[in-house]
Amino acid sequence: MRSKISRLLPGLLLAAALPVLAHHSFSAEYDADKPVTLKGTVTKVEWTNPHARFYVDVKDASGNVINWNLELASPNGLMRQGWTRHSLKVGDVVSVTGAMAKDGSNMANARTVILTDGRKVFAGTSGDGGPTQ
Amino acid sequence: MNDFLRNVCVVIVATMFLLPANRADGQDLTDPAGAAAEAARVAHKVPTGPAPRLADGRPDFSGIWGSDLHFIFDISDALKKGEKLPIQPWALKLAKERPSKDDPEANCLPTGVPRLAPYPWTILQNRNYTYILFEGNIHSYRQIFMDGRKHSPDPNPTWYGESIGKYEGDTLVIDTVGFNDKFWFDFAGHPHTEKLHTIERYRRPDLGHLEWETTIDDPGAYTKPFTLYGHSTLQTDTDLMEYICQENNQDVNHITGKDSRNSLSK
Repeated sequence: MRSKISRLLPGLLLAAALPVLAHHSFSAEYDADKPVTLKGTVTKVEWTNPHARFYVDVKDASGNVINWNLELASPNGLMRQGWTRHSLKVGDVVSVTGAMAKDGSNMANARTVILTDGRKVFAGTSGDGGPTQ
Repeated sequence: MNDFLRNVCVVIVATMFLLPANRADGQDLTDPAGAAAEAARVAHKVPTGPAPRLADGRPDFSGIWGSDLHFIFDISDALKKGEKLPIQPWALKLAKERPSKDDPEANCLPTGVPRLAPYPWTILQNRNYTYILFEGNIHSYRQIFMDGRKHSPDPNPTWYGESIGKYEGDTLVIDTVGFNDKFWFDFAGHPHTEKLHTIERYRRPDLGHLEWETTIDDPGAYTKPFTLYGHSTLQTDTDLMEYICQENNQDVNHITGKDSRNSLSK
C-alpha cells in the first residue's frame, strides 16, 4: 500500500504547490501573489546560465511597446525536461503567465508560455508550471 | 519526518530538476500534464541492487546524485525532527537581517559546506583523493585528501575548507576545517565563523541511495555541535552539464527582500 501511495504521491504533489528552486531566493525576487499575463512577440532568447531568459515586446494600454524580461529555469533544468534552445524563437507570438518582479521592473518569472497555435512551451516544469532551477 | 515522507520529498526534489532530455528536439511541447507524469515516472526509476564496490573492496560512491531540499531553504529542515538549531543570539540576529541579495549563492559564489544547491553532483574516488563535483552553484569541486595526512596547523580560510577523508568500514568520513566565513548555510542566511569544523559521514546503503550525516561544530556561532541528515537518489538518466552562473546573472539586481520559506520567517 505504502508502495502504491509512494508512486502516486509525487504526481499528486506535482499538481499541487511546489517551491520554485533556483540559485537565488525566488520569494525575495518575485511575488507569487502578483501574477501577470503578457501577450506579445519574442524579441530575444538567451539560453544562458543561471537562467534561460526571453524578451517579449508587449503593448500597454496606451499602445506603447514595452520590452519584458522573462526568466525561465536554467538551460540544464529545461533540457532535462525535454526543452531545447530551439523551443522558443525570435518572432514567436506568445502569451506568458508568470510572477512579477517585486522591484517593479518589467521583469517576471515565466510559468507558462503559450504559442499562437496552442502549444505550451517550457510548461510543466513544476506543479505550478514554474521553473525549478 | 519519517522515512516515508522524507523519501517522498527526495523524490519530489529529484522530480523537479533531474529529468531526462529524452524527447525529440522541439517535439511534444503540448503536454505539461504528460511532462509531470513523466517526471513522476522517471523519479521512481531509482535503481535497485547492492551498492557497488571499487576493485580494492571499498564502497563506490560514484554516480550522479540529486540534491536534497532540506539543505537549500533552511538547514533546520535537515535536523532530526523536534530539534532546533543551537544558534547564538548574534548569529540569529544576523541571519534575520541578511537580505537575500547578499546571499553568496545568488551572487554565483560557492555554497560551502553543508549547503546544497538544487543541482546534481557526483563523487569521484581514487587512491589519494576524493572529489565532489558540483554541476551548479558553482560549477566547482571539493578536494578531499585521502592520503593519511593531518590537517594543516593554520589552513588558509577557503570556501570549501581543507578536507581530509578516511573510510570507517563502508562509511566515507570527511573532516573539514579552514573554512572562510563568507558563505551562508542556506537561503535563510544562517551564518558561521572561521571556527567551523564539519564532519561528514557518507554511506551508500544500496545502488540507488546515498545517505549522509554532517556534524556542524562552530563554537563561534552555535552553542553546541549539531547534526544534519541528508539523502540523495541516483540519477541514471542524466549527466552533469555545464553551468556557468556568472554568464548572465541578472537576479541580484532585482532581489529586494528576504526569502520567506525558512524558520526565521515563521
